[in-house]
Parts: sequence; structure tokens; C-alpha cells
Amino acid sequence: LLSTGVGALRALGGAAHLSHLARRSPPQYAPVTAALQQNRHSSFFNKLTADELWRGVLAESGAGARKGRGKRTKRKIKKDLNRGQNLGEGRAGYLWPGLNSPVYRDGSVQKPSQRGEAEQKEVTAALERQRDEWDKRRKTKIKRERGWTGYSWGGISLGPPDPGPNGETYEDFDSRVIEVKSVFNVTAKESRKRSISALVAVGNGNGAAGFALGKAADKNTALRKAKNRAMHYLYYIERYNNHTIYHDIESKFKRTTLRMKKQNKGYGLRCHRAVITLCKLIGIEDMYAKVDGSVNLLNITRALFHGLANQETHQNLADKKKLNVVEFRAEQGTLPIVVARPQLGARKEPEVEDDVPNTRLHWADVKASQGVKRSVWAGVKRTIW
Amino acid sequence: MLFTTSPSIPCGSLKGGSSIHSRSDIIYSMAASSFTRCLVRSYFCVKCVDHVQTRLQTTTRMFCVSASRSSFVDAPKAQFTDTEVQDILTKITGLDLKKVFRPIRQQLTPPKYKLVTDTELEEAVRKAEEQAKHLLKMPPVLPERKPINDVLYEDQMLEGMDTAKYVFTDINFNVPHRERFIVVREPSGTLRKATWNERDRLIQVYFPKEGRKITPPPIFKEENLRVVFEQDRHEDVLNQCIVQFEPDSAEFKNVLMLTYEDIEKHGKYDLLRSTRFFGGLTWHLVNGRRIDGLLVDMLQRDLMQDAVRLVHLFNLVHPQSESAQQAQTQQATDLDLLKIYAQYESNRAGFIELAVQTCEQAKALSSF
Repeated sequence: LLSTGVGALRALGGAAHLSHLARRSPPQYAPVTAALQQNRHSSFFNKLTADELWRGVLAESGAGARKGRGKRTKRKIKKDLNRGQNLGEGRAGYLWPGLNSPVYRDGSVQKPSQRGEAEQKEVTAALERQRDEWDKRRKTKIKRERGWTGYSWGGISLGPPDPGPNGETYEDFDSRVIEVKSVFNVTAKESRKRSISALVAVGNGNGAAGFALGKAADKNTALRKAKNRAMHYLYYIERYNNHTIYHDIESKFKRTTLRMKKQNKGYGLRCHRAVITLCKLIGIEDMYAKVDGSVNLLNITRALFHGLANQETHQNLADKKKLNVVEFRAEQGTLPIVVARPQLGARKEPEVEDDVPNTRLHWADVKASQGVKRSVWAGVKRTIW
Repeated sequence: MLFTTSPSIPCGSLKGGSSIHSRSDIIYSMAASSFTRCLVRSYFCVKCVDHVQTRLQTTTRMFCVSASRSSFVDAPKAQFTDTEVQDILTKITGLDLKKVFRPIRQQLTPPKYKLVTDTELEEAVRKAEEQAKHLLKMPPVLPERKPINDVLYEDQMLEGMDTAKYVFTDINFNVPHRERFIVVREPSGTLRKATWNERDRLIQVYFPKEGRKITPPPIFKEENLRVVFEQDRHEDVLNQCIVQFEPDSAEFKNVLMLTYEDIEKHGKYDLLRSTRFFGGLTWHLVNGRRIDGLLVDMLQRDLMQDAVRLVHLFNLVHPQSESAQQAQTQQATDLDLLKIYAQYESNRAGFIELAVQTCEQAKALSSF
């Protein structure tokens, strides 16, 4: 049954006997010569299904919706109007055994009856209240977790990736969005075909991390695709003492250079916000990173992963050079701490060291260390990283 | 790869006002006249780039008094400053590099790495050990300083001149602090030499030493010390005490005594092992004839050699005791010393003998 808010039409359904009872008997008029009043008791509202009617109201597929011409604010939301309705409930308030009321009561079969006025008013009021409550609940805005800025999707967590086909779960992995952007492809049929591209990274905070790009027509599908795809492209990254990298890395990918410096415990992640998100997923806690050149997020991600994956652990260094790797910490005086010994034993010839180390310096670092750098952000002290 | 060699003492640790972990450096030097008794001058310094080294010298008068007194009691009794005693104490203290070079509280920097051969590594370890020995130099054990009651002049004419005392200090730069003239004019008109407390205070005012406060901080009060001892921070208190007080002052000795008593009571000897206070602790216990707790602790940690040395030290310090005389007659060495001590002097004889037996069995097994 369809009950609309339009007052002019009566609630007439398919049941013939109902209309028979509800309709008042036509008054006895004297035959008149004026034209008969045409009264239709069915219109397109009754002849179409709810879905078809809603399709007409929402106008999802029309010329306006194509090619991105639809306005953002003029979007209507489909609402199920049959919710809360029971077969047998009507405005008159009749009780039909089997539909509204029980068939058997005290052993005997019931007969159809009618509710009292007050009771019927109560029932309708209750239904109204229930509908209002549903509307209110639907209208309440759920606070969306904020990423790097209020509107951007960067840095927002999507939860763990979906379980795999063989039942494996990835509960200890967390996925974070790095970038969401709408990209266009020019096709022959429609001129510009819009799709959303999402770059998502996953990681378990213990060295296993990966990233992937997902594209789809709508945002949620793109995010889901990227999240699940990232689990197939994982890197394992060695960390020193589980909090930082082994040595300073400079990795370049296309036109993006990423200079990463090893830091002591408690330094924090002083990097580009995307690099901070990625390092948190990997499990690196203290690092300094500077992005030079292009700041394309995909290139930054790739540069970071390539650089970290090609690190040389202390054991590797020791085996390569056949010398002991010894660490000197300022807070521990002159105590030598042996971090790695070569597996095949150390060689006898010591390492040749020049007076001036043969490393390439960066002008920005030199300026910063000399104090020549003129930037208001140079020595700023941040408490949140 | 960069290699930083820090100078003998990490000066960075003394910046920022955190004086609890400052590392003092005590230098012993022998006097010129070696044919007389072993005259020793003890210096007490805090090395820092910006501050002048302060040196103390024991006055000749005090020295004569202490020398004559000790010669009356018994001739062969060992002193803290004897070479043999010092040798034993350093050996007992041990040299745990990890504990001596514990990370101190300072601004952290990323570590530096070096690729070294085995010989270079040994060289670096040797250098670290040398610096550790330097850091483990024991604070001196000096007799308590006599109070100064010298009145220079009584002047009735100046009586009632002011309500406050006037203190006159000689602030010549090249005068040692112990020989400085500090005199006080009382409101009653007497001109007297300043007491030790006043001297310390005023010298700190005119020649401030880093880490030392003008009035002693409240941590040295008994109830506060109790709290600190409960937190097992004996070493921090002792470091602060060394910086604050002079080694022959009453407060210094008092704080040291309280710390040692607390350690002895709870058996927390391991807190001071491999620090420079272990020698002082052992000396205090040996003089009080209460080495049982320490001995038992050493035996529990399988430090047999240290236990033997401790008993040997006891015999040196108390040559008229039973165990010393027995050892003398029997010419005992090593574990026999322990047995003799256990027999004659100790209260925990059973434990000591059991430990000695297990050690002998272990030795016998290993020799097969």
C-alpha cells in the first residue's frame, strides 16, 4: 500500500472489499444535465513501483548528471517510505486477525474488529514519533576523523585491510590514505571520463609495510581497491633498535630527492607529513627527512621505500668490509660498543681514513650548521610531530 | 666515519646546571720528602673548561697532629692512603665498563660509527679502561677538621657599632683557599677568624664552584636522605655530597656515614660496586669490623678473589685481631684466610665455610 502525504487522494489499495467499506455511499442526486465529475482513484502514484518513482524524483541519470554538470548541493536522498508499515494497519484502525491481531484467542477464531478512536490516535502518534526519530538519526552528522587538514583525505586511517580469500586476516596491519585525487581520461565515447585515484599505504608498525594505487569511479571503491592491493606489495624494512634507520640515506626517484638522517631516540619524526605517516606505519620513530625537488606524493613514497629497502645493516657492512663496526655514543664517554662483527673474522689492515672525509655536502645543511640560514622556520620548536 | 675522542672528562655533562653527575677528579701526589713518613697531599678538583681548578692543601699544623696521633696507637696499622690498601680497594671495586660509562642525562646526539680491526678495538677498549680508572679515583678519607676558635683582637670601643657581623675576606686570586684570611668582626667588637662553615660559604660566594650551593641543599637532611635511599639512589647523593662539601668537613663525613650505614643495613653493596665510592664503603666497614655482610654478598656473587682480598685488608687494618694473628702464624693464603676469618671473627661462619667448600670442590673438579 502506498500512503502519500497528499491530502486530496484517499488511501485506496488493491483490495476490493476495503474500498467497498471505506468509500462512503454516493449521495442520491437528481439527474443533472451538467457534465459528470470525473474522479479518478488511481494515478501514476499507484501504477508505478517505489523504485521507479524515486528514480524520477532523484534524476540520477540525466543530461545534468553527466560530464560533472550536477550541482553538489541539489542532491536528494532516497527514503524508504514503507518502513514502519504493517500489512493490515490503516487510517480507520481495523483489526484483522492474522495481520494485525492474533488469529486464535482463548481457543476460538477471532473476527475482524475496529480499534477505538483514542487507541487509533495513539497508534498513529506512535508511528509518527518513530518516523521522526528515524529522520533525526539519519540527519545527525558523524564526525569524520581529520587527516592532515580538515578537508584532505591524507593521513586518514581506513582500518585493517579486508581478509584474504583463504581466510587470512590482517588485523595487525593498519592502512592510511596518502593521497586522493580525481583524474580524468579522455575517451572516444565520452570526452572526459572522471575517476578517483587513491594512494594507500599499509603497515604493521614492525617493519612490514607497502603501498598501492587504486582507481575507480567513486572514492570508497578506489580506497578499498588500493587498501587490498597494498597487501600484495609489502616491503620488509630493517630498523636499528626498532626506532630509526641504520645510516643517513639519500634516495632519488624521478625528480624527487629524499634525504633521510639517522637520529637518536626521542628526536621524533621531523619530516614531510606523508613521510611521517609512512614512517609510523613502518615503525620508525626518530628520523629527519628533507624532500628536495618535486613533491609528488607517489614519487616521495617510492623514493622512501626504495631508499629504506636498500639500507645496509651493520652486519652487512661488517661482512662487506671485513671489519668490526663499533659505535661511540656521546652520553657514554669513550666506551666502544661493538655492534657487528664480520662472520669470517676481521682483516688485519685498518681502514684508510682521509683527513678530510670524502662526502658530498649539501649547501642547505652547511648553511644551517653555520647559522647563515635566513628562515623563520629554521629554529622553531614544535611540541607535536 | 667520524670518531670523537672526548677529553678526559666529558665537559658537556656539567652544563645546564645538572650537577648530580659531575665527575670529580682526585689526584694524589707524593711529597718531596720521601725519606720521612709517607706524606701525602690530597687534592680535590672539579675539572671544567670555564672554571679555575681549586686545590686544597692540608696545612702543616693539622698534618703534624694527625701523624703524631696515629703513631701512638699501633705502628703497623694500615692507613687509607697506603699503596697496598689502595691496591686492594681498587681491585675490590672492580672495573665494569658498562656501569662506569652508563649513559648520563644530557642532550642526546646520534651515535658515530667506526670500522676497526681487532687490534684497534683492543686499543679503544684499553683507552676506555684508562679513562674509567681515572673516573674511579676514590674520594679522600681525611680526619675531621678541627673547629677554628681563634680570636685575633678584643676591642671594647667598637661595641654596639652595628647589629650585623662584618666579614672580611682576602680575595687575592693566587691564594689557596685553605690559606685564605677570612675574619669576622662581631657586633661586640671582637675580631675573630671565621669558622669553617663561614669560610666555605664565603669562598663559594667569591669563587663559585660549579654545582656547589651556598647553603647545603635540603637533600642532605636525614628524612630526605631516607627517601632517597629507598629509591636506591645512593650514588647520586654521594656525587652531590662530594661537590657540595669539603672532604674533611663534618657534614661530608656524616652523609657518607649515613649512606654506608643504609647500604650495610639493606645489603645493597652492588649499587656502589664499580663506582668510586666502593673503596670508602669498604674502608668504613673494615674499620667498624663489620665486613660479614659484604663478605657474604661477595661469596654469593662468586667473587672469591675479592673476598680473600677483603679479609687480607681486614688483617692489615686490625693486626691484633684473632684472625690476623692466626693468619700470621699459619702464613695462610687464599681460601685458608677465609676459613680462619670464619672461625675466629665472623658471625656468619656457617655460610662462609659452606661457600669456601663449594669453591674448593669446583676447583678440584675443574682441575681434573
